[in-house]
Amino acid sequence: MVILDRTRIETGEATRPPGVRVSRGYRVFQVVNALILTGIVVATLYPIVNIVARSFSGDGYIRSGKVSLIPRGFNVTTYKAVLSNGAFWTDYRNTVFYTVVATVVAMFLTTCYAYVLSKKDLRGRGVLVGVAVFTMFFSGGLIPNYILVTTMGLRNSVWAIALPNAVSVFNLLVMKAFFEGLPAELEEAAAIDGLNTYGTLWRVVLPLSKAVLATMVLFYAVSFWNSWFTAFLYMDRSDLFPVTVYLRNLIAGATTSTSVGFSGADAGVAGANIQSVTIILTTLPILAVYPFVQRYFVSGVTLGAVKG
Amino acid sequence: MNHISRRSMLAIGAATLGTAALGLTACSSDSGGGDKGTDLSKNRADAMDKFAVGDQFKAAEPIAFTTLLNDNPGYPEKGSWLFWSELAKRTNVTLKPTVVPLSDYENKRSVIIGAGSAPFLIPKTYPGQEAPFVASGSILPISDYVDLMPNFKDKVARWNLQGDVDTLRQDDGKYYVLPGLHQDVWIDYSFAIRTDVLDELGLQIPKTLDDLHSVLTAIKAAKGGFPMSDRWNQPTPGGALLQTVGQAFGAGSGGGWGYANATFDTASGKFVFTGSMDQYKQTLSYVASLVKDGLLDPESFTQTDDQANAKFTSGKTYVISTNAQELVNTYRVGLAKSVPSAKVVKIPVPTGPAGDVKVGIRLENGLMISKKARDSKDFVALIQFVDWLYYSDDGQIFAKWGVEGVTYTRDAAGSFHLTNDVDYVGLNPTATKKLNVDFGFSNGNFAYGGSTQLLESTFSQEEKDFQKVMTARKTLPVPPPHPLNADEQEQSALWDAPLKDYVQQQTLKFILGERDFGQWDAYVSELKGKNSDAYIDLVNKAYQRFKDNQGKPAADKS
Repeated sequence: MVILDRTRIETGEATRPPGVRVSRGYRVFQVVNALILTGIVVATLYPIVNIVARSFSGDGYIRSGKVSLIPRGFNVTTYKAVLSNGAFWTDYRNTVFYTVVATVVAMFLTTCYAYVLSKKDLRGRGVLVGVAVFTMFFSGGLIPNYILVTTMGLRNSVWAIALPNAVSVFNLLVMKAFFEGLPAELEEAAAIDGLNTYGTLWRVVLPLSKAVLATMVLFYAVSFWNSWFTAFLYMDRSDLFPVTVYLRNLIAGATTSTSVGFSGADAGVAGANIQSVTIILTTLPILAVYPFVQRYFVSGVTLGAVKG
Repeated sequence: MNHISRRSMLAIGAATLGTAALGLTACSSDSGGGDKGTDLSKNRADAMDKFAVGDQFKAAEPIAFTTLLNDNPGYPEKGSWLFWSELAKRTNVTLKPTVVPLSDYENKRSVIIGAGSAPFLIPKTYPGQEAPFVASGSILPISDYVDLMPNFKDKVARWNLQGDVDTLRQDDGKYYVLPGLHQDVWIDYSFAIRTDVLDELGLQIPKTLDDLHSVLTAIKAAKGGFPMSDRWNQPTPGGALLQTVGQAFGAGSGGGWGYANATFDTASGKFVFTGSMDQYKQTLSYVASLVKDGLLDPESFTQTDDQANAKFTSGKTYVISTNAQELVNTYRVGLAKSVPSAKVVKIPVPTGPAGDVKVGIRLENGLMISKKARDSKDFVALIQFVDWLYYSDDGQIFAKWGVEGVTYTRDAAGSFHLTNDVDYVGLNPTATKKLNVDFGFSNGNFAYGGSTQLLESTFSQEEKDFQKVMTARKTLPVPPPHPLNADEQEQSALWDAPLKDYVQQQTLKFILGERDFGQWDAYVSELKGKNSDAYIDLVNKAYQRFKDNQGKPAADKS
């Protein structure tokens, strides 16, 4: 019972309006809720803390499976080694560049497309939506895509990453729903005041859509930051790889060369702590962005979701 | 909400299919005229008129060839490698690499071959991996051109490798991959054992599998717990362990990683089904006895490598499967932290009823060449270049050790030594530069195979000792080639994988005691229910056909 009372205070029940009695069922619900959520938090945090601990540990301790939450054999030499690695920084710079360019392109195209689709009186609107939705279910396939990108001369350039993935249909539909929810009267007023379509979009609609724009920027930026496959496929030189390809190779290289039998010349296994350090350094910026965008993120997604 | 009607969806779908079909027809009519016969007069630009064993290949003019490059994170590709510049200096050939991360090398290789954008050279291709590309016609049947390769032919003849090379032949009698060639079968996997514990208990290093059983029993009596917990369960449970034990019992190339449904039985001159062989049964009952007596952790077949390693390196278990690398990089490093007094060695592979033999093939991964290279005016130069770099003594030494005086020196006895400031696999631990990282030599794309002396030139003394024992053992002959034609391949694909899966499943049941060996006959008839007999007939038919044709192209190519 004591535990229950404490939980009651901690779960915020103390802030309920005076005079409102809380039913027993609700209290039980809150306790169960808190327990489940705590479980989820632990399950989510454990791998992150574990990777952080590994990144500060000695290689031998990691290999003998002794590192869980606290670093063993504490050192920062691995951080120094990775940070002084030229290839890592080249690839890091590529990732930033690709993410920025691809996000800008994607935002521009998605916004334009979504705004057009949000106009209910547009002729051929159904076809335009259909064209977009079609790509959700069918794709040309890997090899045709590769041939297309190759013949257009996009390989080994940022456009191979930015253009084929420029419009995410899911994001497009969320944005379209958001624009449809804006009062038509505002745009009519803008038109009466002499703004053309582009002016209306730029001066009236977009300033009112900061929430959905921030959300979309986050969605796009995270997906471009994390993506590796397009870059892997279309980039033929290691100085063009994003850091995700570098990281993937580092981790896969360490496991495949030992487990599938290696050829005599292939002696070069990345230390387990090098992997952890690279993982931390790769995910850090994108983790750091979340808290700042989160308030838009929540309102943006829900706004888009309930309309439709 | 807008949605497209079902009819318009269907219309779009049909249109797409139609286009795809058109595309396919266009492709197939294209590839018809690919065979140019043996007339090479238009492809001899920059080639050497006379190129023989011992000659240094050098192109008449500087030329460039494209190559795929498997980028190892241990030594990422650098344009500044001495390998590139020295190679250009010696051969006049500049290699232009398409760099592909090792993690997904096979994927990208498939895509770019499929898309027709493959570079001329496609290295790091293991024998068997070329098969899916053969039908597409995008890979050169290199066997048609080995006459341009004096070094390759010389090594095949001198090391008596024709039988091994013949296993590469496809149904048309040709082979499409140039393999790395080893002088001798190279065995790397065995067991790591804690010799400090053996000394403590007054035990000898086990020589046979029976010895291993009694050593494990003695350790268990003294220390309790499971004395052995094994690893390497990907992609096949008990990958290394069942392979080793199976070979010792004479079950073809063994279970686990080595498992293949068909094993050649020299006595009857026919292929038999491995999973129902008596030798395979003995293999399983041996391993089952280890489990039943509590000597082998039942988790050995399901746990991850990390879990098994942790048990060994924390001193809870005393025997585990190993190769040369894991012994040094994982077990010793881990044990040094938790049990500083521990000593661990890789023991010579314990023998079984099959006697002092070793099983293996002397082919290493190799390279494919794009069919479109055949149309290049420099085609002959390309083949000569490949022959020099991959198969000549000089080329192999260059790819592995680099430049004499810069990265290595040789003493009077011919042994290789790294120069003072260069390290490779810890041979020169105080050096600041690495042979592969900083110079690009000993790179898995270009350096493999070669003479035993060259192979062992980078081994530690203890590994050389291990190899000495293994070299003395008799090498069993490789199974004869039995290339399937396209129809058979399709049929065998339907039978092969389900049979393998079933054998694997039942293998675990027998080993873990979930199925009694009294049910062996029932198990064999279950295999027959899954077409094991039909499968073996198919293989034997293909073998017979190949024997009749003696490597000549089959009459019916479809």
